[in-house]
Amino acid sequence: MSEKKPAVYLCKGCGIGEAVDVDALETVAKSEFKIGRCLQHAALCSDDGLATIRNDVESGSVNRMVIAACSHRVMTDKFQFGAAPVVRAGLREQVAWSQPAKAEDTQMLAADQIRMGVTQLSRTETPAPSVVQEFSRTVMVVGGGITGLTAAREAAKAGYPVLLVEKTDRLGGWAAKWSARMPHRPPYRDVQPNDVGKLVTAVQADKQITVKTNTLITRTAGQPGAFAVTLSQGGQETTERVGAIVVATGWRPYDASKLGHLGHGSSPDVVTGIELEAMLKAGTLTRKSNGAPVERIAFVQCAGSRDPDHLPYCSSVCCGVSIKQALQVVTRSPKASAYIVYEELRTPGTAEEFYRQAQKAGVIFMKGKAGKVDGGRMTVTYQDELLGMDVPLGPLDMIVLATGMVPNSTNPDAPAVEPEKGEAQLKDDINPVAPIKVAGYLSGEGKAWPHIDKGVPPGGPILNLQYRQGPHIPILADGFSDSHYICFPYETRRSGIYTAGPVRRPMDMAESAEDAMGAVLKAIQAIEGSKMGSSLHPRVGDLSFPKIGHDKCTKCRRCTVECPFGAIDEDEQGRPVINPSRCRRCGTCMGACPVQTITFDNYNPQMVNAMIEANEIPDEFSEKPRILVLACENDAYPAIDMAGINRHQWSPFVRIIPVRCLGSVTMQWISTALQKGYDGIMLMGCKSGDDYQCHFVKGSGIAKERMSKVGETLKSLMLEKERVTMEEVSIADSHRVPEVVNKFAELIGAMDPNPMKGF
Amino acid sequence: MTVAPPDTSTKYDLDFAKWVYENIEGGDKLALCMQCGVCSGSCPIGVQMDYGPRKLFMMIRAGMKEEVMTSSTQWNCTSCYRCVVRCPRSVPVTYILQDLAAKSAELGYAQKTNENVNFARSFWWSAKTFGRTDERLVTALYYFSFGLKEGYQRGLANLKIALNFVKRGRMHIGLPHRIKGRRQLKAILAKAEEIAKREGLH
Amino acid sequence: MTDNTTDKKKFTYYPGCSSQGSARHLDESLRAIAPELGIELDELEDWNCCGASVGHIGGGQLPNVALTGRNLAHAQRQGRQDVVTGCAACYLNTHGGNEKIKADVNLRRKVNDALAAGDLSYDEDLRVRHMCEVIVNEVGVDKVKERVTKPLTGLKVAGYVGCQTVRPFANTDAGGEYDTYDDPAFLDDFTEALGAEPVPFQHKTACCGGSVAVMSPDRTLHLVKNILEEAKQAGADVISTPCPLCQTNVEMYQEQINEKFGTDYNIPVVFYSQLMAVAFGLDAKKDAALHRNTIAPEKLEELATGRGEAKPRGAEPASPAAIGRD
Repeated sequence: MSEKKPAVYLCKGCGIGEAVDVDALETVAKSEFKIGRCLQHAALCSDDGLATIRNDVESGSVNRMVIAACSHRVMTDKFQFGAAPVVRAGLREQVAWSQPAKAEDTQMLAADQIRMGVTQLSRTETPAPSVVQEFSRTVMVVGGGITGLTAAREAAKAGYPVLLVEKTDRLGGWAAKWSARMPHRPPYRDVQPNDVGKLVTAVQADKQITVKTNTLITRTAGQPGAFAVTLSQGGQETTERVGAIVVATGWRPYDASKLGHLGHGSSPDVVTGIELEAMLKAGTLTRKSNGAPVERIAFVQCAGSRDPDHLPYCSSVCCGVSIKQALQVVTRSPKASAYIVYEELRTPGTAEEFYRQAQKAGVIFMKGKAGKVDGGRMTVTYQDELLGMDVPLGPLDMIVLATGMVPNSTNPDAPAVEPEKGEAQLKDDINPVAPIKVAGYLSGEGKAWPHIDKGVPPGGPILNLQYRQGPHIPILADGFSDSHYICFPYETRRSGIYTAGPVRRPMDMAESAEDAMGAVLKAIQAIEGSKMGSSLHPRVGDLSFPKIGHDKCTKCRRCTVECPFGAIDEDEQGRPVINPSRCRRCGTCMGACPVQTITFDNYNPQMVNAMIEANEIPDEFSEKPRILVLACENDAYPAIDMAGINRHQWSPFVRIIPVRCLGSVTMQWISTALQKGYDGIMLMGCKSGDDYQCHFVKGSGIAKERMSKVGETLKSLMLEKERVTMEEVSIADSHRVPEVVNKFAELIGAMDPNPMKGF
Repeated sequence: MTVAPPDTSTKYDLDFAKWVYENIEGGDKLALCMQCGVCSGSCPIGVQMDYGPRKLFMMIRAGMKEEVMTSSTQWNCTSCYRCVVRCPRSVPVTYILQDLAAKSAELGYAQKTNENVNFARSFWWSAKTFGRTDERLVTALYYFSFGLKEGYQRGLANLKIALNFVKRGRMHIGLPHRIKGRRQLKAILAKAEEIAKREGLH
Repeated sequence: MTDNTTDKKKFTYYPGCSSQGSARHLDESLRAIAPELGIELDELEDWNCCGASVGHIGGGQLPNVALTGRNLAHAQRQGRQDVVTGCAACYLNTHGGNEKIKADVNLRRKVNDALAAGDLSYDEDLRVRHMCEVIVNEVGVDKVKERVTKPLTGLKVAGYVGCQTVRPFANTDAGGEYDTYDDPAFLDDFTEALGAEPVPFQHKTACCGGSVAVMSPDRTLHLVKNILEEAKQAGADVISTPCPLCQTNVEMYQEQINEKFGTDYNIPVVFYSQLMAVAFGLDAKKDAALHRNTIAPEKLEELATGRGEAKPRGAEPASPAAIGRD
């Protein structure tokens, strides 16, 4: 590394010049930090301002800089000068726009922004990327149903080689067994022919796609860009290298033999929707009991669904399927009548058109819970909510139980490998109320989640991941693969591996095909990102990755246990091994490391520690308390910026440092701040739990768990536990953020000053 | 014959809804009823009905033909058409109730003491015989359709009104008003009845 | 104003059965005001009953439509001009039946098969209209206002439209889209045009009980009571209505209502056409037929015989321009 030639550029535009004394800020940089090159400008983002900086860089007089201007979230493309590290000290949103102009406290805040910026700069290096070896562009698609077929086809169309792996001997999946499709094209009213056969033909004809049927995956090792996958086809094992994986293993029907209370097994004419579909496909709709034609048919919706004793969730497609089948039945014979007994009919979006079409065709919808299904008398007795009485529907020729979908997040045909370890890991993942296991901190028992045993679909792992954290793709509640529903729906917690279709959530054929396209795009991004050494979501383009100082490492395994993405394995000696392209750069490992030996080139414990220490702490008689806010850069920090943009004001005693994720916050920062004399500390991040908003899935939950133990630390320092708090905010909370901050400032203001000031 | 009497051997008749959809005027539109209840909420005398139209329509779907066909709902409809213009699914509620009334009379569900049936029969007699409604005769016939005694009582109760109307020239004394083409009308109606028996309305 | 007696718009006029009984005053006043509004009424030859609200029960659906069929067949013989009626029930059945026949080829065939038994046929696409719609769409309220020679100054009028005059056809294409179903404005517009004062009236399209009121008043007296109650509270001198059955029900049951509910209603109920006849300066008895109301509309009678100047009939008939569109 050549000699550091830092500069501080101070902008006076957008009201900064009117709000603070910029000369005094320049003095801070010059006298406190001995920065030689300081420059004030009326508008740094103007052509003239940018040209000035560019000249400095190109002339070789400056090779790193602090831009003291607007937030680091804006104008990132303008303030970029080759490889020179750039740190942005925010004087606009969080000073000029949110504090009274020319006030003493405003000036002090601005000066601290400069101090933190210059300090951060001194600890920042331009990261050198880690690029994967034995790189592969191939997309492996697991599952040959409509989702997998679509994924394969779309990836091939985009120019990527595809390896399509199917467990059975043929392509098409469940979709190939359907007699017809629900409408998926305008006007969304009529039953449409099943066109999955065409898709199978197209996939088989595509030279970019290698299809392997009768094939299972026995091992998946490596990382995005360079997965090593061992396939077993009839006992023959081969190893393939693939860049990314789309898991489209679909679903299995709920086991109807558990539905005796709904008459299953009481008559051959009480069938499931799947069985009826087979009859419709074969074209012979007759009673199984006596071969008579089926003219009066009733569908029992939610058979074993939305039922705490069976599937607690809605499978979303059964209503549409029953509507389709009922329409098919009444269309076949003018004498036929079809009844659909439902509690709530779920026909979102265009499915409402289909629903109406069925009503027009004379399909009769009865609102109420089916209480008793009598296979002897072929009667469905249900509690009609609109009549307020029990109504017996019968005698019927056929009763159809509309059963739900169970995700194939495991392979039902394979035994659970490492039953204890594998299943326990899955259960930990799906139990939303259990405390997150944090190495070294976990205490107490988690509350039992009532559906924990039903939440894990029986079977073995799909990919047999050779990861420290186990062979499964983590799942969330109800056994579906975990994914960030709001921001990154296809992302699993295993980077480069994407789920699509009903393994992710229940969906119909059209939705599955769309889902496949989304997942393929993600897979391509993973391949291209790993080629450059760039992170995936949400820190796309970040070339830094965690580095472990093995000399200091105590092999405590906290990082390997807590990494939300399973990016860190262990070698034979138990030392952590980073797989850089699996890593999402959240820094949860950094927050976990008790000896602060996990660092990023541009983000590390020492850097934030120094920033905390850089600020000036007025003495205990000044009545100027200091509050440290560690704000997650994903939602909290943007919300604070937006509060400034909206000209909300908040306490000038607050000093805000952005962090990658609350998971990256080390306990050392807390104790540094308290020892330095900060009066209060607030961690501001995303919602945790089963409806988490954390962009790194578990980061905020882990932080919460760690902070629950901070009380003891405070006690040992003879400090009130209220001085450290954690607040969940969303990106839409810009109006709430100032309130939250001010309330905390008020609470801290009412306490005695931190006695450790000036210690 | 399109009007087949519903099966009366069971309390619930699964085919009843289908029968209504196919045989009651506007019944096909009933399939689209979404049970919102705007009809019942709009009805001026819904509270006096055994069931509001919404509930009656659900009972049709549940196959409760006996209760539906003998319900007072269709007989209390005042033909204000508020439900018709308000129904978000364009179900012609009034028309359906009117035809349910007609069919329940035709199929013998209506009781002998049913005021509407007796009134309708008196009315039709006048229309058919004279080609005009003679309010005086229709009212008298209607009153006495309940028997001599009740007819007399009902007449007496409205005597004052009648006398007042006579005084104002709004009720005439003398022969009924009648059309010239009575023979023609009789032939037309007889033919219409014959076609209806054979083919129904539509 | 360049009026011309020869340019009246001709309609085939279907008076309906009540015109010979309970609603003679509607018929009489309509015939009186028509020429004033540029309307020529050519009475439908040998018209028969429309079937009212119960014909389908007494005679069956198809025979009931056949009644309308016979009337339309006669109308067709009289020319292709529109058919007009002042009676809500006649309009409902005849307009509704006509539209059904037009839309349903099967029904048209059946009706014609029946009509053939009487040597009649209906193959035209006639238009059946309500008098109020004709006044709104063809004449125009402005022209009504121009005809006024005796403004009904100071007369407070509750405009009671009732049901079938507007429902279910007032806002349909075939019905001329002349007003709304729940809050029609035309009747108050008429009142205003005549120089009288329309009072706010929430019950303007509430049901009076219709034919159910005739056959069993006990079931529906409270409906009429609600109408009277609001009219009284609003300080109405008269209730104005376009509907024969509404006029009869609201007028004739007041005494029974007073007995049943302990009230003291005595509110005159008149047809809008009677108000027009008076305001146009026509004869109070011969033209406005005020003597036929069982509750005498005293204020109206005063206006008819008091101020203003009566003018000779037909002296100032409507101009062709009074006919809005053809």
